[in-house]
Amino acid sequence: MVTKKIELNIKVNNKDYKLLVSPNKRLLDVLREDLGLNGVKEGCGIGECGACTIVMNGKNICSCMVLAGQAEGAEIITIEGLTGPEGELHPLQEAFMETGAVQCGFCTPGMILSSLVLLRNNPSPTKEEIRAAISGNFCRCTGYQQIIEAVQLAAEKMRKGGVKVNG
Amino acid sequence: MQDFNFIKPTNLEEVSSLLINYKDKARLIAGGTDLIIALREERLPSNLEIIIDISHLKELDYIREEGGYLRIGSGATHVEIAQNELIKRYAPLLSQAASLIGSPQIRNRGSIAGNIVTASPAADAVPALIVLDSRLVIRKGQEKREELLQKVFVGPYKVNLKSDELVEEIYFKKLPQKAKSDFSKLVRRNAVDKSRVNLAVVAQQNEDKKVIDIKISAGSITPLPQRFKEAEDLLLGEIPTANLIQKTGEKVAEEMMVKSGYRWSTEYKEPVVKSLMVRALNRVLEVE
Ligand SMILES: Cc1cc2nc3c(=O)[nH]c(=O)nc-3n(C[C@H](O)[C@H](O)[C@H](O)COP(=O)(O)OP(=O)(O)OC[C@H]3O[C@@H](n4cnc5c(N)ncnc54)[C@H](O)[C@@H]3O)c2cc1C
Ligand code: FES
Ligand code: FES
Repeated sequence: MVTKKIELNIKVNNKDYKLLVSPNKRLLDVLREDLGLNGVKEGCGIGECGACTIVMNGKNICSCMVLAGQAEGAEIITIEGLTGPEGELHPLQEAFMETGAVQCGFCTPGMILSSLVLLRNNPSPTKEEIRAAISGNFCRCTGYQQIIEAVQLAAEKMRKGGVKVNG
Repeated sequence: MQDFNFIKPTNLEEVSSLLINYKDKARLIAGGTDLIIALREERLPSNLEIIIDISHLKELDYIREEGGYLRIGSGATHVEIAQNELIKRYAPLLSQAASLIGSPQIRNRGSIAGNIVTASPAADAVPALIVLDSRLVIRKGQEKREELLQKVFVGPYKVNLKSDELVEEIYFKKLPQKAKSDFSKLVRRNAVDKSRVNLAVVAQQNEDKKVIDIKISAGSITPLPQRFKEAEDLLLGEIPTANLIQKTGEKVAEEMMVKSGYRWSTEYKEPVVKSLMVRALNRVLEVE
C-alpha cells in the first residue's frame, strides 16, 4: 500500500514546528528522530515503563502510545524544555541530583515530567500522592524513596522560590 | 509498525461516512493504548488502509446527567470518569474502576469505548458498567441503534459491532441514593499490570434489611463479561447473614469454575475470588 505523509503542526518546548511525517510514526519517534530530543527515552514501547513520558496539553502521557498525527495542534513539553535559556536547571532537576534520585538516569526525564504535572496541580503533595503520580514510571536502579524525597524537595524549593513552572 | 494512512476528521459525521466508505479497511483510534500495541505487533488484518483518529473530538467527550440517566460520550477518558462529580455521586463504582486502570499516563489517554471495544476479559470499566445495566448507543451514518452492553460481547476480544459502526455513547440509570456499590481489583505487581481478578457489585436493601437489588459481575475470571445470577439469587429477597455472604462468595467462585472450565489457573483463583467477593459484599451490605 502507498501511504501518504502527513503534515504535523506541533509546539514543542515553546517552539512551533511544521513537519512532514510518515503516518505510522509514533509521537515518540517524531520527538527523537525528527526533533532530536533524546531526553525522551524508549524503554518498553508498550506503555508500561513511562520512560517515554512527555507532557502533552498539560497531561503526562506515554509518547509511545500516541500516533504522530494524533498530536496535531498539541503543546508538548519534554525534559529539554525544563532547562532555562542559560542552562539553569529546573528545581525538579536540581532536587533529583541533590537527593541521589538519579543513577543510570534512564527513567529520570519521565519521572520529572510526571512530577511536574503533579506539582502544577498540587504544590504540596503527600508521599502517597507522589507515589501515585509516578506509578506509571519505572526505575530499576534507585529506590523510589529517593525519588519521592526529590519531589518533596522540589516542591519545597518551588513554594519558597515562587518558581514559575515552565511550559 | 503496520502501514496505514492517517486521517483526523473534524466531526463525527465525517467519521461515520469514512467508516461507511472504508468498512473493514478502516480502524478508529481513540486513546490508542490498545490499538497501537496491536499495530506494532502487526496484529491488524493486512487489508488495513486507514486509521481514523477520534481522540480529539469534543462531540464524543462529555459526561452529563439527563433525567434519571448518566450519559458518557464514548471518548471520555478514564481520568475524566474517575474525577467526575456526577459519576462519583451516582455511580461511585465506575469512578473507582476508572481510577484503578493502568497508570496516570494510561488513564490520561485511554477511553471508555476503547476499553469496551477491545473486549479484553480483564477490562476494568466493563464489569462496573455491566452491573449498572449500561446500554450503548451505536451509530452508523445518521442511524443509531442501542444495545445492552452485555450483549455486545461475543467472545474474548470480540464484539458484535460492524466495521461501519461506532460507539457514540454509553448510558445507564443513576443508582438510587440508598444503593451501595463497590469495585475491587487484584493485580499482580503494580499499576500497569492488567487485572488478575476484578469484581463489581451493586446492592440495595430495604428498611428491613431485605436485599431488593443485587448485581454482581467480574473481570478476568470468565471468558465473557457477565452477571453471576445464581449467586445473586442466593441474596435477593433475603436478609443477609455472615453465613449467606460466605455462601454467595462460594457460589461466585463455583460459577466461575463452571463458566471458564477447570484449569489450573482457575482453580488457583477460586479461594481468591471467594474471599474478594465476601469482602466486597461486606462493604455493600448490612449484615444481620
Ligand atoms: C500499560 C497499560 C496498562 C493498562 N492497564 C489497564 C487496566 O488496568 N485496566 C484496563 O481495563 N485496561 C488497561 N489497559 C488497556 C487500555 O488502556 C484500555 O482498554 C483503554 O480503555 C483502551 O482505550 P483507548 O481509547 O486507548 O482505545 P484504542 O486503543 O484507541 O482503541 C481500542 C479499540 O477500540 C476501538 N474503538 C475505540 N473507540 C471506539 C468507538 N468510539 N467506537 C468503536 N470502536 C472504538 C478501536 O478501533 C480499537 O479497536 C492498559 C493498557 C496499557 C498499555
Ligand atoms: S517506552 Fe513508552 S511506556 Fe515504555
Ligand atoms: S535511575 Fe536507572 S532506571 Fe531509574
